[in-house]
Amino acid sequence: MNDGASYLELSRRYGFAPKPESASRLTQLVSRQDADLDEIAKVIDKDPSLRARLLRVANPEAENEAEYAIETVEDALMRNGVGCVLVLAMSTPLAAALVKTFQTMLSLQIETIDPRTAPALAGEHLRCNIDFSGKVVGHVLLRLGAAAGRLIAAGILGTTPEEMTDMNEVRDVAGELLNIMTGNFKSNLCDAGLECKLSPPDVRSTTDFTPPVVRAGSVEHLAFSSGKIQIYVEVTANPWSDD
Amino acid sequence: MATKILSVDDSRTIRMIVGRTFKPYDCQIVEAGNGEEGLAAAAREKPDLIILDVTMPVMDGVTMLTKLKEDPELKTIPVIMLTAESGRENVLQIAKLGVRDYLVKPFKEEQLIEKAGRIVPLTKKPVA
Repeated sequence: MNDGASYLELSRRYGFAPKPESASRLTQLVSRQDADLDEIAKVIDKDPSLRARLLRVANPEAENEAEYAIETVEDALMRNGVGCVLVLAMSTPLAAALVKTFQTMLSLQIETIDPRTAPALAGEHLRCNIDFSGKVVGHVLLRLGAAAGRLIAAGILGTTPEEMTDMNEVRDVAGELLNIMTGNFKSNLCDAGLECKLSPPDVRSTTDFTPPVVRAGSVEHLAFSSGKIQIYVEVTANPWSDD
Repeated sequence: MATKILSVDDSRTIRMIVGRTFKPYDCQIVEAGNGEEGLAAAAREKPDLIILDVTMPVMDGVTMLTKLKEDPELKTIPVIMLTAESGRENVLQIAKLGVRDYLVKPFKEEQLIEKAGRIVPLTKKPVA
Protein backbone atom coordinates (compact mmCIF):
# COMPACT_ATOMS: atom_id res chain seq x y z
CA MET A 1 0.00 0.00 0.00
CA ASN A 2 1.28 3.49 -0.76
CA ASP A 3 2.44 5.19 2.41
CA GLY A 4 1.75 8.62 0.96
CA ALA A 5 5.02 8.66 -0.96
CA SER A 6 5.41 11.21 -3.74
CA TYR A 7 6.05 10.33 -7.39
CA LEU A 8 9.75 11.14 -7.00
CA GLU A 9 10.04 8.97 -3.87
CA LEU A 10 8.26 6.11 -5.64
CA SER A 11 10.50 6.42 -8.71
CA ARG A 12 13.55 6.12 -6.40
CA ARG A 13 12.00 3.20 -4.48
CA TYR A 14 11.15 1.30 -7.67
CA GLY A 15 14.39 2.28 -9.42
CA PHE A 16 13.24 4.07 -12.56
CA ALA A 17 13.97 7.52 -13.92
CA PRO A 18 11.13 9.97 -13.30
CA LYS A 19 9.77 11.92 -16.27
CA PRO A 20 11.94 14.99 -16.92
CA GLU A 21 10.37 18.21 -15.68
CA SER A 22 11.18 20.15 -18.89
CA ALA A 23 9.23 17.75 -21.13
CA SER A 24 6.32 17.74 -18.67
CA ARG A 25 6.38 21.54 -18.44
CA LEU A 26 6.17 22.03 -22.19
CA THR A 27 3.50 19.39 -22.62
CA GLN A 28 1.45 20.97 -19.82
CA LEU A 29 1.74 24.41 -21.38
CA VAL A 30 0.78 23.16 -24.83
CA SER A 31 -2.09 21.06 -23.53
CA ARG A 32 -3.97 24.15 -22.34
CA GLN A 33 -6.47 25.54 -24.82
CA ASP A 34 -5.54 29.07 -23.65
CA ALA A 35 -1.84 28.31 -24.06
CA ASP A 36 0.42 31.34 -23.67
CA LEU A 37 2.55 31.48 -26.84
CA ASP A 38 5.23 33.69 -25.24
CA GLU A 39 5.68 31.24 -22.38
CA ILE A 40 5.87 28.30 -24.82
CA ALA A 41 8.38 30.18 -26.99
CA LYS A 42 10.60 30.80 -23.93
CA VAL A 43 10.67 27.08 -23.06
CA ILE A 44 11.45 26.11 -26.68
CA ASP A 45 14.20 28.73 -26.96
CA LYS A 46 16.00 27.02 -24.05
CA ASP A 47 16.01 23.66 -25.91
CA PRO A 48 18.29 23.95 -28.99
CA SER A 49 17.22 20.59 -30.43
CA LEU A 50 13.51 21.35 -30.16
CA ARG A 51 14.05 24.86 -31.50
CA ALA A 52 15.90 23.50 -34.55
CA ARG A 53 13.20 20.92 -35.25
CA LEU A 54 10.40 23.47 -34.94
CA LEU A 55 12.14 25.82 -37.37
CA ARG A 56 12.78 22.98 -39.79
CA VAL A 57 9.08 22.06 -39.75
CA ALA A 58 8.12 25.72 -40.22
CA ASN A 59 10.31 25.92 -43.34
CA PRO A 60 9.37 22.78 -45.26
CA GLU A 61 10.70 24.01 -48.61
CA ALA A 62 14.12 25.13 -47.33
CA GLU A 63 17.15 22.96 -48.11
CA ASN A 64 19.16 24.46 -45.25
CA GLU A 65 18.96 27.08 -42.48
CA ALA A 66 20.22 29.84 -44.78
CA GLU A 67 17.02 29.48 -46.79
CA TYR A 68 14.69 29.75 -43.79
CA ALA A 69 11.97 32.37 -44.33
CA ILE A 70 10.73 31.83 -40.76
CA GLU A 71 13.60 32.40 -38.37
CA THR A 72 12.12 32.86 -34.91
CA VAL A 73 10.31 30.46 -32.59
CA GLU A 74 7.44 32.94 -32.23
CA ASP A 75 6.89 33.09 -36.02
CA ALA A 76 7.17 29.30 -36.27
CA LEU A 77 4.52 28.92 -33.55
CA MET A 78 2.22 31.33 -35.38
CA ARG A 79 2.66 29.39 -38.63
CA ASN A 80 2.42 25.83 -37.29
CA GLY A 81 0.32 26.20 -34.17
CA VAL A 82 0.94 24.77 -30.73
CA GLY A 83 -0.34 21.32 -31.76
CA CYS A 84 2.86 21.00 -33.77
CA VAL A 85 4.89 21.70 -30.62
CA LEU A 86 3.02 18.97 -28.79
CA VAL A 87 4.02 16.41 -31.43
CA LEU A 88 7.62 17.65 -31.47
CA ALA A 89 7.84 17.67 -27.66
CA MET A 90 6.28 14.22 -27.40
CA SER A 91 8.39 12.68 -30.15
CA THR A 92 11.58 13.37 -28.17
CA PRO A 93 10.75 10.89 -25.37
CA LEU A 94 9.31 8.56 -28.00
CA ALA A 95 12.64 8.47 -29.85
CA ALA A 96 14.52 8.12 -26.56
CA ALA A 97 12.30 5.15 -25.63
CA LEU A 98 13.14 3.37 -28.90
CA VAL A 99 16.88 3.98 -28.45
CA LYS A 100 16.69 2.76 -24.82
CA THR A 101 14.72 -0.34 -25.82
CA PHE A 102 17.41 -1.30 -28.33
CA GLN A 103 20.18 -0.69 -25.78
CA THR A 104 18.44 -2.56 -22.97
CA MET A 105 16.85 -5.52 -24.71
CA LEU A 106 19.15 -5.98 -27.71
CA SER A 107 22.44 -4.39 -26.57
CA LEU A 108 22.34 -2.50 -29.88
CA GLN A 109 23.05 1.15 -30.50
CA ILE A 110 20.45 2.69 -32.78
CA GLU A 111 20.77 6.26 -33.97
CA THR A 112 18.26 8.80 -35.09
CA ILE A 113 18.79 9.81 -38.73
CA ASP A 114 17.27 12.55 -40.86
CA PRO A 115 13.99 11.10 -42.20
CA ARG A 116 14.34 13.24 -45.35
CA THR A 117 17.60 11.60 -46.35
CA ALA A 118 16.93 8.11 -44.94
CA PRO A 119 16.90 5.31 -47.54
CA ALA A 120 13.35 4.53 -48.64
CA LEU A 121 11.71 1.35 -47.36
CA ALA A 122 10.63 -0.85 -50.27
CA GLY A 123 8.60 -4.03 -50.77
CA GLU A 124 7.15 -6.18 -48.01
CA HIS A 125 7.52 -4.71 -44.58
CA LEU A 126 5.92 -4.69 -41.13
CA ARG A 127 3.44 -1.92 -40.43
CA CYS A 128 2.70 -1.49 -36.71
CA ASN A 129 0.15 1.04 -35.55
CA ILE A 130 -1.20 2.17 -32.19
CA ASP A 131 -4.01 4.72 -32.01
CA PHE A 132 -4.59 6.89 -28.98
CA SER A 133 -7.88 8.52 -28.17
CA GLY A 134 -9.29 10.76 -25.46
CA LYS A 135 -8.39 14.39 -24.87
CA VAL A 136 -5.84 13.97 -27.63
CA VAL A 137 -6.24 11.72 -30.66
CA GLY A 138 -3.61 10.43 -33.02
CA HIS A 139 -1.44 7.49 -33.81
CA VAL A 140 2.09 6.19 -33.70
CA LEU A 141 2.99 4.22 -36.82
CA LEU A 142 6.17 2.20 -37.04
CA ARG A 143 7.46 0.57 -40.24
CA LEU A 144 10.43 -1.73 -40.68
CA GLY A 145 11.58 -4.26 -43.26
CA ALA A 146 10.65 -7.91 -42.78
CA ALA A 147 14.34 -8.91 -42.52
CA ALA A 148 14.95 -6.20 -39.91
CA GLY A 149 11.88 -7.47 -38.03
CA ARG A 150 13.35 -10.98 -37.96
CA LEU A 151 16.70 -9.64 -36.72
CA ILE A 152 15.04 -7.73 -33.88
CA ALA A 153 12.73 -10.60 -32.93
CA ALA A 154 15.67 -13.03 -32.90
CA GLY A 155 17.66 -10.69 -30.65
CA ILE A 156 14.83 -10.20 -28.19
CA LEU A 157 13.77 -13.85 -28.09
CA GLY A 158 17.35 -15.12 -27.92
CA THR A 159 17.45 -17.06 -31.17
CA THR A 160 18.83 -16.58 -34.71
CA PRO A 161 17.11 -14.74 -37.60
CA GLU A 162 17.12 -18.01 -39.59
CA GLU A 163 15.08 -19.66 -36.83
CA MET A 164 12.51 -16.84 -36.88
CA THR A 165 10.30 -18.53 -39.46
CA ASP A 166 7.02 -17.83 -37.65
CA MET A 167 5.99 -14.34 -38.77
CA ASN A 168 3.38 -14.24 -35.97
CA GLU A 169 6.26 -14.18 -33.48
CA VAL A 170 8.04 -11.47 -35.47
CA ARG A 171 4.85 -9.39 -35.56
CA ASP A 172 4.30 -9.86 -31.82
CA VAL A 173 7.81 -8.61 -31.05
CA ALA A 174 7.34 -5.60 -33.37
CA GLY A 175 4.03 -4.83 -31.67
CA GLU A 176 5.63 -5.00 -28.22
CA LEU A 177 8.46 -2.73 -29.37
CA LEU A 178 5.86 -0.15 -30.38
CA ASN A 179 3.93 -0.76 -27.15
CA ILE A 180 6.99 0.07 -25.06
CA MET A 181 7.63 3.27 -27.03
CA THR A 182 4.03 4.36 -26.92
CA GLY A 183 3.44 3.57 -23.25
CA ASN A 184 6.06 6.16 -22.47
CA PHE A 185 4.37 8.60 -24.87
CA LYS A 186 0.99 8.04 -23.26
CA SER A 187 2.33 8.63 -19.74
CA ASN A 188 3.61 12.05 -20.77
CA LEU A 189 0.27 12.99 -22.32
CA CYS A 190 -1.74 11.83 -19.30
CA ASP A 191 0.57 13.65 -16.86
CA ALA A 192 0.01 16.84 -18.86
CA GLY A 193 -3.75 16.49 -18.40
CA LEU A 194 -4.36 14.99 -21.85
CA GLU A 195 -5.85 11.71 -20.63
CA CYS A 196 -5.99 9.16 -23.40
CA LYS A 197 -6.19 5.43 -24.00
CA LEU A 198 -4.11 3.33 -26.34
CA SER A 199 -5.43 0.75 -28.79
CA PRO A 200 -3.74 -2.64 -28.90
CA PRO A 201 -0.97 -2.67 -31.53
CA ASP A 202 -2.17 -3.52 -35.04
CA VAL A 203 0.71 -5.27 -36.79
CA ARG A 204 0.58 -6.57 -40.33
CA SER A 205 2.89 -7.56 -43.15
CA THR A 206 2.19 -5.35 -46.14
CA THR A 207 3.53 -3.75 -49.30
CA ASP A 208 1.14 -0.82 -48.90
CA PHE A 209 2.82 2.45 -48.03
CA THR A 210 -0.38 4.51 -47.85
CA PRO A 211 -0.22 6.52 -44.62
CA PRO A 212 -3.21 6.43 -42.27
CA VAL A 213 -5.76 9.21 -42.64
CA VAL A 214 -4.92 12.19 -40.43
CA ARG A 215 -8.10 14.13 -39.73
CA ALA A 216 -6.39 17.11 -38.16
CA GLY A 217 -3.36 18.00 -36.09
CA SER A 218 0.34 17.72 -36.74
CA VAL A 219 2.61 15.02 -38.07
CA GLU A 220 6.23 14.25 -37.17
CA HIS A 221 8.44 11.78 -38.99
CA LEU A 222 11.38 10.05 -37.32
CA ALA A 223 13.92 7.60 -38.70
CA PHE A 224 16.43 5.34 -36.97
CA SER A 225 19.30 3.22 -38.18
CA SER A 226 21.52 0.48 -36.77
CA GLY A 227 23.44 -1.63 -39.29
CA LYS A 228 20.91 -3.58 -41.32
CA ILE A 229 17.98 -2.21 -39.30
CA GLN A 230 16.10 0.88 -40.44
CA ILE A 231 12.99 1.98 -38.57
CA TYR A 232 10.55 4.68 -39.65
CA VAL A 233 8.10 6.25 -37.22
CA GLU A 234 5.24 8.62 -37.88
CA VAL A 235 3.53 10.42 -34.99
CA THR A 236 0.35 12.45 -35.25
CA ALA A 237 -1.48 14.24 -32.47
CA ASN A 238 -4.52 16.42 -32.41
CA PRO A 239 -5.07 17.94 -28.96
CA TRP A 240 -8.39 19.29 -27.74
CA SER A 241 -10.26 16.76 -29.84
CA ASP A 242 -14.00 16.50 -29.35
CA ASP A 243 -13.77 12.69 -29.60
CA MET B 1 8.53 -26.96 -4.01
CA ALA B 2 8.84 -24.77 -7.10
CA THR B 3 7.99 -21.07 -6.78
CA LYS B 4 4.85 -20.42 -8.79
CA ILE B 5 4.87 -17.19 -10.82
CA LEU B 6 1.89 -15.88 -12.80
CA SER B 7 2.82 -13.71 -15.80
CA VAL B 8 -0.10 -11.57 -17.01
CA ASP B 9 0.66 -9.74 -20.26
CA ASP B 10 -1.12 -9.54 -23.61
CA SER B 11 2.23 -9.72 -25.37
CA ARG B 12 3.41 -13.24 -26.04
CA THR B 13 6.89 -11.77 -26.42
CA ILE B 14 6.93 -10.50 -22.84
CA ARG B 15 5.50 -13.77 -21.50
CA MET B 16 8.26 -15.63 -23.38
CA ILE B 17 10.93 -13.31 -21.93
CA VAL B 18 9.52 -13.79 -18.40
CA GLY B 19 9.53 -17.57 -18.92
CA ARG B 20 13.13 -17.49 -20.19
CA THR B 21 14.21 -15.24 -17.29
CA PHE B 22 13.09 -17.73 -14.64
CA LYS B 23 14.11 -20.87 -16.56
CA PRO B 24 17.39 -21.38 -14.63
CA TYR B 25 15.42 -21.28 -11.35
CA ASP B 26 13.12 -23.76 -9.69
CA CYS B 27 9.98 -21.93 -10.82
CA GLN B 28 6.69 -22.86 -12.39
CA ILE B 29 5.43 -20.17 -14.78
CA VAL B 30 1.70 -19.77 -15.39
CA GLU B 31 0.59 -17.40 -18.17
CA ALA B 32 -2.46 -15.23 -18.79
CA GLY B 33 -3.13 -12.85 -21.70
CA ASN B 34 -5.30 -10.25 -19.94
CA GLY B 35 -6.60 -9.23 -16.52
CA GLU B 36 -9.70 -11.42 -16.68
CA GLU B 37 -7.65 -14.53 -17.44
CA GLY B 38 -5.14 -13.35 -14.86
CA LEU B 39 -7.74 -13.20 -12.07
CA ALA B 40 -9.04 -16.66 -12.96
CA ALA B 41 -5.47 -18.03 -13.02
CA ALA B 42 -4.69 -16.35 -9.67
CA ALA B 43 -7.78 -17.94 -8.05
CA ARG B 44 -7.04 -21.35 -9.57
CA GLU B 45 -3.27 -21.50 -9.16
CA LYS B 46 -2.66 -19.37 -6.03
CA PRO B 47 0.73 -18.18 -7.31
CA ASP B 48 3.52 -16.98 -5.03
CA LEU B 49 4.04 -13.90 -7.22
CA ILE B 50 2.18 -12.10 -10.01
CA ILE B 51 4.01 -10.12 -12.72
CA LEU B 52 1.41 -7.80 -14.20
CA ASP B 53 1.21 -5.55 -17.28
CA VAL B 54 -1.00 -2.43 -17.31
CA THR B 55 -2.37 -1.93 -20.84
CA MET B 56 -4.19 -5.06 -21.96
CA PRO B 57 -7.41 -5.80 -23.84
CA VAL B 58 -10.53 -7.20 -22.08
CA MET B 59 -9.35 -6.20 -18.59
CA ASP B 60 -6.35 -3.97 -17.92
CA GLY B 61 -3.79 -4.45 -15.17
CA VAL B 62 -5.11 -1.68 -12.90
CA THR B 63 -8.60 -3.24 -12.90
CA MET B 64 -7.16 -6.68 -12.22
CA LEU B 65 -5.06 -5.32 -9.37
CA THR B 66 -8.11 -3.57 -7.89
CA LYS B 67 -10.16 -6.79 -7.99
CA LEU B 68 -7.26 -8.83 -6.64
CA LYS B 69 -6.95 -6.52 -3.62
CA GLU B 70 -10.72 -6.76 -3.00
CA ASP B 71 -10.59 -10.55 -2.82
CA PRO B 72 -9.72 -11.81 0.70
CA GLU B 73 -8.31 -15.04 -0.78
CA LEU B 74 -6.00 -13.29 -3.24
CA LYS B 75 -5.13 -9.91 -1.79
CA THR B 76 -1.91 -11.05 -0.11
CA ILE B 77 -0.33 -12.35 -3.32
CA PRO B 78 2.57 -9.99 -4.04
CA VAL B 79 2.49 -8.16 -7.38
CA ILE B 80 5.26 -6.67 -9.49
CA MET B 81 3.98 -4.31 -12.19
CA LEU B 82 5.84 -4.72 -15.50
CA THR B 83 4.80 -1.88 -17.77
CA ALA B 84 6.02 0.78 -20.18
CA GLU B 85 3.90 3.36 -18.37
CA SER B 86 5.87 5.23 -15.73
CA GLY B 87 3.88 8.45 -15.68
CA ARG B 88 3.06 10.21 -12.43
CA GLU B 89 -0.68 9.43 -12.36
CA ASN B 90 -0.23 5.77 -13.19
CA VAL B 91 2.51 5.17 -10.63
CA LEU B 92 0.67 6.96 -7.83
CA GLN B 93 -2.61 5.13 -8.57
CA ILE B 94 -0.91 1.72 -8.69
CA ALA B 95 1.16 2.37 -5.55
CA LYS B 96 -2.02 3.33 -3.73
CA LEU B 97 -3.66 0.02 -4.70
CA GLY B 98 -0.64 -1.81 -3.33
CA VAL B 99 2.18 -3.40 -5.30
CA ARG B 100 5.47 -4.79 -4.04
CA ASP B 101 7.51 -3.40 -6.90
CA TYR B 102 7.34 -1.69 -10.27
CA LEU B 103 9.56 -2.45 -13.29
CA VAL B 104 9.47 -0.20 -16.33
CA LYS B 105 9.83 -1.65 -19.84
CA PRO B 106 12.30 -1.93 -21.48
CA PHE B 107 13.97 -4.02 -18.79
CA LYS B 108 16.91 -6.33 -18.36
CA GLU B 109 16.22 -9.88 -17.21
CA GLU B 110 18.61 -9.38 -14.27
CA GLN B 111 16.41 -6.54 -13.00
CA LEU B 112 13.37 -8.82 -12.94
CA ILE B 113 15.31 -11.56 -11.15
CA GLU B 114 16.58 -9.05 -8.58
CA LYS B 115 13.12 -7.68 -7.86
CA ALA B 116 11.44 -11.10 -7.77
CA GLY B 117 14.23 -12.50 -5.58
CA ARG B 118 13.49 -9.91 -2.92
CA ILE B 119 9.92 -11.22 -2.66
CA VAL B 120 10.00 -14.99 -3.29
CA PRO B 121 12.69 -17.65 -2.94
CA LEU B 122 14.55 -18.25 -6.21
CA THR B 123 16.63 -21.40 -6.12
CA LYS B 124 18.87 -22.22 -9.07
CA LYS B 125 18.17 -25.57 -10.69
CA PRO B 126 21.08 -27.99 -10.54
CA VAL B 127 23.07 -28.03 -13.79
CA ALA B 128 22.36 -31.28 -15.64
